[in-house]
Amino acid sequence: MFGRRIDRLGVAAFVVFMALLPLVFPGNYLIGVLTVSVIYGIWAVSWDFMSGLTGRENFGHSLFIGVGAYTAGFMNTSFGLNGWWSLPAAMLVAMLFALLIGLPTLRLKGPYFALAMLSGAVIMQRLMLIFWEQTGGEEGINGLEPLIRSQLGFYYFALAALCAITALLALLARSHWGLILRAIKGDEATCQAAGINVTLYKIVSLIISAAFAGAGGAMYAHYQLQVSPQLFAVVTSITIITMVYVGGMGSIYGPVGGAILLVLLTELLRRFGEWRLMIYSVTLILILFFLPNGLIAPIWRRVRATWERRT
Amino acid sequence: MVEILIVGAVSSAIYAMLAVGFTLIFGVARVLNLAHGSFYALGAYGAYFFTSTLKMPLALGALLSVALVAAFGIGVERVLIRPMRKSQLAVLMISLAVALVIEQALFLTFGSEYRNVPAFVDTKFRIGHVDIGGARLLALGVSVVLIGALWLFIQKTRVGSAILAISQDPVAAQYMGIPSDRIFAVVMGLSAALAAAAGILAGPFLTVQPTMWLLPIVKAFAIVVVGGLGSIPGSILAALMLGYAETIVGYTVSTSWTEIVSVLATLLMLVIRPAGIFGRRAAF
Repeated sequence: MFGRRIDRLGVAAFVVFMALLPLVFPGNYLIGVLTVSVIYGIWAVSWDFMSGLTGRENFGHSLFIGVGAYTAGFMNTSFGLNGWWSLPAAMLVAMLFALLIGLPTLRLKGPYFALAMLSGAVIMQRLMLIFWEQTGGEEGINGLEPLIRSQLGFYYFALAALCAITALLALLARSHWGLILRAIKGDEATCQAAGINVTLYKIVSLIISAAFAGAGGAMYAHYQLQVSPQLFAVVTSITIITMVYVGGMGSIYGPVGGAILLVLLTELLRRFGEWRLMIYSVTLILILFFLPNGLIAPIWRRVRATWERRT
Repeated sequence: MVEILIVGAVSSAIYAMLAVGFTLIFGVARVLNLAHGSFYALGAYGAYFFTSTLKMPLALGALLSVALVAAFGIGVERVLIRPMRKSQLAVLMISLAVALVIEQALFLTFGSEYRNVPAFVDTKFRIGHVDIGGARLLALGVSVVLIGALWLFIQKTRVGSAILAISQDPVAAQYMGIPSDRIFAVVMGLSAALAAAAGILAGPFLTVQPTMWLLPIVKAFAIVVVGGLGSIPGSILAALMLGYAETIVGYTVSTSWTEIVSVLATLLMLVIRPAGIFGRRAAF
């Protein structure tokens, strides 16, 4: 799938590095941080597939994450279903929400989609608090069962999921389908004139993106063993968007690196406590101004270019 | 019945003040400013800070707060938004990031607990057989006056004509020698001042806390979609519709469901008539 040898080497190095890290530095703390970073990777890559490729920015990815997590919470605690049912169910519910918001907004030009996603996430968070009798309010849902008892086992499962999802989305992004998405970003009117059903492509991409975000939400729920309305917060979406920007928008592999890098850096910033989110938002502004192409994807392109010159 | 009529009018008035500024800056500069709700929050916090911490009289504190927020809005437009104006999405991103920075700054300086903004009038008035807080009636009155003044300003003054001209055709306006960048600054200042005034007036009866910018931006978006992006009469009409719809749902069904009204209205309008009631051509 990755045509060039250097890309295959890079992927292999990344997977081996991520897999060996918890073995070299054992301890549940590091495993926990890495698990969270891998789940953020899933969210970032799923955001990038829709928004990075088509240029239609989604300001409410947390909506899909939240509904995925709450689906997992309800299925596991209220209905007592096995945790593995959560993943497909969360994907389905998230896809439904994507359809609901995508259908009226993605056929329009302008900022309607971005704002409708933001509104959707804000309102869902409010609803979780307002209907606290069903949703547990501020506390959320507690007492979920872990998918895999061993922490390390779950980390490897999440890492495998991240690799599979990234590979699938990278494959899609390189296919005919991905080409059309990029063309939509370039010039939507021309695509329409060429007889491409632009709206259909955008909606299906959003549904794919939502499915993986929902799955990530369910995984996060089964990892934290609880679900809270904070998952719907705008901050969650902004964090993901910052990760994608750091990684390089539209490159699929970049956002994965951006997510892992930022989660690990955030751990180092832990002693700044309350200042963490402030640092995040200021970082985003600085990146928008000074590094519009991101950090990871451009660096990797440079590495690839030097490698190819040498061989 | 009387209560629904008045409470609905008050929330409509607050919504109208927010939505008119939001739609004005879009209609003129094509900027969708997600930091608009933050101006509202900053207005309320400014009034709180000047009266509670610096012990100023409320009238002075309120005026100072509005002026500072307007200046801040102009600064944000000049430094952060103007270089990004080429791409609408970059503007959305940067203004959302600004909103988050403001939320965090408020959180770090004032903490997350609710703050009390003092009211200009504390007495209650009896209308028919219901008691209505003076702060609410004042909010209604002031917002009608402010929006009326804005309307006169746009229709009657030279700067107002320039605003109209740019909103109708930015390129032609530039050819006529209208300094569009300076007009954008004026409009941004006006829009931020209106939002700040809304925050100060609503502060006494709504919660003042760092995340208070979020719901207003959602409501403003719903109103602007229903009324038509860029249309001031449209957003006033839509603000009335949303304000009353929410109040009626709140009184007849349950206050829990009021939050859904705005999202439903947005989605329905986008399905039925994406241009909004007043469409895009009738900008003012």
